[in-house]
Amino acid sequence: MFRQLAISCLFAVLLLPADARTRPHYGGTIRVEVNGDPLAVPSGLARDLLFDGLTTFGPDGSVQPALAVAWRSEDRDHRWQLSLRSGVTFHDGSPLTATSVVNSLNRSCNGHCPWSVVHAVGSQVVFTADSPMPQLPALLAEDEFLIALTLGADGLPPTNPIGTGPFQFVSAVRDTVTLAANQNCWRGRPFADTIEIRGHRAVRDQWLDLSVGRTDVVEIPPEMLRQARQQQLTIVASPPVTLLALQLLTTSALANPMLRASIAQAVDRSALFNVIFQKQGDLTAALLPQQLTGYAFLFPPDRNLGKAIALRGGLTTASLKLAAEGDSAMQLAAQRLALNLHDAGFPVQVVPGNTPNPDLLLRRLPLESSDPAAALAVLMHSAGQNDPANASTPSALFRVEKNILDMHSIVPLLDLPRAWAVSGKLRDFALRADGAPDLANTSLESTQ
Amino acid sequence: MSLRQKLLLLFSLTVAASVAAVTWTVLIRIRQVFEVRDQQETALFVSQFQREFQHHSDEVAAAVDRLAGGDQARTMAFQITQSGDASPYLTTAQSMAQSAQLDFLEIVGADGNVISSAQWPARFGYPELAAAESGQAPFLKREDLPDGTTAIGLFAVRAIAGAPSIRLIGGERLDQSLLADLAIAPGMTVGLYIDPGTAASTAGSAAAAAPSFDATRLIAAEGPLPGAAGYQKLIDAAISSGREMSGIVYPTARRQDSVNATVIPLKNQSGAVLAALTVAISRTGMIETQRRIREIAYGIAGAGILLAVFFSLWIAARVSRPVEQLARAAEEVAGGNWDVTVSERGRDEVSVLARSFNHMTSELVSQRDRLVQSERVAAWRELARRLAHELKNPLFPLQLTVENLVRAKGLPPSDFDEVFSESTTTLSAEIANLKTIISRFSDFSKMPRPELQRIDAREIISRVHALYANAAAVDSARLRFEMDIPGEPMPVDADPELLHRAISNLVLNAMDAMPDGGIVTLSACPKGETAELRVSDTGQGLTPEECERLFTPYYTTKQHGTGLGLAIVQSVIADHHGTIAVESGAGAGATFIITLPRAAS
Repeated sequence: MFRQLAISCLFAVLLLPADARTRPHYGGTIRVEVNGDPLAVPSGLARDLLFDGLTTFGPDGSVQPALAVAWRSEDRDHRWQLSLRSGVTFHDGSPLTATSVVNSLNRSCNGHCPWSVVHAVGSQVVFTADSPMPQLPALLAEDEFLIALTLGADGLPPTNPIGTGPFQFVSAVRDTVTLAANQNCWRGRPFADTIEIRGHRAVRDQWLDLSVGRTDVVEIPPEMLRQARQQQLTIVASPPVTLLALQLLTTSALANPMLRASIAQAVDRSALFNVIFQKQGDLTAALLPQQLTGYAFLFPPDRNLGKAIALRGGLTTASLKLAAEGDSAMQLAAQRLALNLHDAGFPVQVVPGNTPNPDLLLRRLPLESSDPAAALAVLMHSAGQNDPANASTPSALFRVEKNILDMHSIVPLLDLPRAWAVSGKLRDFALRADGAPDLANTSLESTQ
Repeated sequence: MSLRQKLLLLFSLTVAASVAAVTWTVLIRIRQVFEVRDQQETALFVSQFQREFQHHSDEVAAAVDRLAGGDQARTMAFQITQSGDASPYLTTAQSMAQSAQLDFLEIVGADGNVISSAQWPARFGYPELAAAESGQAPFLKREDLPDGTTAIGLFAVRAIAGAPSIRLIGGERLDQSLLADLAIAPGMTVGLYIDPGTAASTAGSAAAAAPSFDATRLIAAEGPLPGAAGYQKLIDAAISSGREMSGIVYPTARRQDSVNATVIPLKNQSGAVLAALTVAISRTGMIETQRRIREIAYGIAGAGILLAVFFSLWIAARVSRPVEQLARAAEEVAGGNWDVTVSERGRDEVSVLARSFNHMTSELVSQRDRLVQSERVAAWRELARRLAHELKNPLFPLQLTVENLVRAKGLPPSDFDEVFSESTTTLSAEIANLKTIISRFSDFSKMPRPELQRIDAREIISRVHALYANAAAVDSARLRFEMDIPGEPMPVDADPELLHRAISNLVLNAMDAMPDGGIVTLSACPKGETAELRVSDTGQGLTPEECERLFTPYYTTKQHGTGLGLAIVQSVIADHHGTIAVESGAGAGATFIITLPRAAS
């Protein structure tokens, strides 16, 4: 008996430190370096920490409640009614109201909303539209529709970004944004006291800083993921969460669908996949990834230059402007696509990403939702195109997607993951559905 | 054109032509000198450029050699050879080019396709033909760039040590930085023209275009070359022919901005022209010098012309003025003034001519005086002869009558009385005759001054016609009078009595000229500013000699005429500021024409 008791006590003594090691610590500063602007709209890393949406995507990609606790559709999805979470306050202490939500939504989409009218009814936010909005909860989880305070207590727009997220804005000095833990967050206090996000940092420099301990989280673009693994960095990568696609303007020079079809056949995905993006992600000619729909293999991604030239049929166009959103890899991919299109007889000029109304735009579109229909709706909304018809079955969804692809206004190229390298000080580092780090639930190994 | 003007023109043309010839020769010589200097400077610069070009070639070759033998390239080549995967080295060319300070660098695999490109990273997988030039001397090559432009570079191809199938093609851009290293003489402008060639991309563009001059591609060390469009002709010629071209280029519309330009084509290994070096030397100095010389020439020409004016005036004073004086004197002599002389200074031909002229006029005056003298003597002789003749006629009867009276003294008184009476009658008659003769001579010497008044010439003609026509009416078969006057008045300022007497005298002469009868015609007609009165007969007419002497006093063709009638008529007409003339032909009668100035009506 004593022996058993002694053994039990010994186990208990041994287990106590183990429990202490696994329990997350509060406090400390998490330092993050990214290539882009932390406050950029959308997809700025700091925005996810400052603001909440009415809904959000869970780690599994499902739509989950956030500032809205419940929602209900009426009139065959023409009207949606969302109930707000009670007791939520902005960082300045002002309560979250339906009116503040409506103001934020109206400002965020600036007249190009998926809905016709949004208005507050008590503690509820009501959306109405002329066409059905079956995927509105998923759309509201997009970064674009995060809720921010638009009017302060003095009736003027706040000078700093104010939201309801787990961290609140402290300062933005040069390229570094400093956030402090929101003690009153409706989700509970985050573990870290402070997060410093340094933006506009070159990837090589980020890696150097990580190696010397000057930062805790750095960005790893897909094209450098292979190299990062070779360098033995601690990498956390998402499944493919973005679709690299070539978006074609269906007016002016490319109004002829045959020309767009020719371009779709001329692009060389394998060169992008094998060389530029270093075999990361997946080749695709479908809008939604294979693991989400199961039918993506029905859209062959192979290049067919002969067919492209035949589809062009000797038609010549004025010089097409091809722009690319994003980093150097995107610019390189754009140049490669320009060469591909030259091969098919299209004169193409690569222009800066901020060029208005380019004929061709290389961009990344989100693939966050685990629901294929919702993912397609979010993707099409991000591409600035009409919501697709609702499809409840895989075959219906296939037809919808095929119809979209047959218009050749979007040419899917690659499904790409997002990846981050982290220091050994972080605990419970995980990625959210969009591949961004979930820093609210990340803690530091030690605050000493 | 006067002699003075001719001299002025001759001197001016001579001066201007001389100055122009000298100026033209000097300008040509200056241009030649400047052209030789420009050619020497251009040759010097081209030599410098070739040295710099060779220096850059050596630098490129050395840089690519270093890269090809470096650890990075050898490791890369080894791993590519081992794994067969070149994709991890997509950006290697950029880092290598940066470390070697090369503008262009491509890594080409064993299949001749690009593994990595510094200048166009997206070109991986495309073939690169220049890889076949491995190991050779640096060469010029046109390189297409992602932005659609093309550049020219000095390239060297080297195989990586230990992996000869993998090659590096490194290059340095041929642009204004090359020019910046060159020492450029003052007044010299150097440009580099990068021929865009056809717009074909590596993969073969459908939008290939014909080669064409693009002024923006002609650059100087400090930026775009001003007036680049002016070089088009030379550059096009140099590119198409592959030979050096020279000529004058006008970058602006101003001539002083023009340059002596030389275009040197830069070729690749196959002889195709990829670029052209332009060396332009300003012609401002030459043009300014020419301008100054031209200004000096203008000044000299102007001064020369002024001198020509002065000399022409001086020579005119020496030569043309005596000639002009001679001409004026000759005109005066022609006008009847023989008492004119000209200056005889000097010993030249004009002086001889002046002396001859003076001698001629003096001789003329002398002869005229002698002629007048002789005419005066002849006139007095004629007068004496006439007086003697006229007086002798009555004196002879007087003498006979007196002798009869003397002889009748011995006759009986009754016979004496009869003789006496007849003698006194005869004496009275002859004495009256003598008085008449004397009064005629007296009248001729004392013509009264006309008392002018405004009259109608037609009335005078009518009065004379009426006077004589009535008298002739009794013998109208032999003598007939006709009159022809106009309907409108012919006002003249004249003394009607004197004019009447003059015309009557002419009528009497006409009647005398027709002893066998005929027709006397009186007529009047206006002739411009004059009134013309005519008296015509149908007699035997006058010889030309008679016509010339007809108005000479005391000249007569009649047996008993005094020769004063027509002289008096001429005197009367002259006192009326008119003229009288005679027209006659043998057997065609004679017509006396009185011309009087018409008075205002």
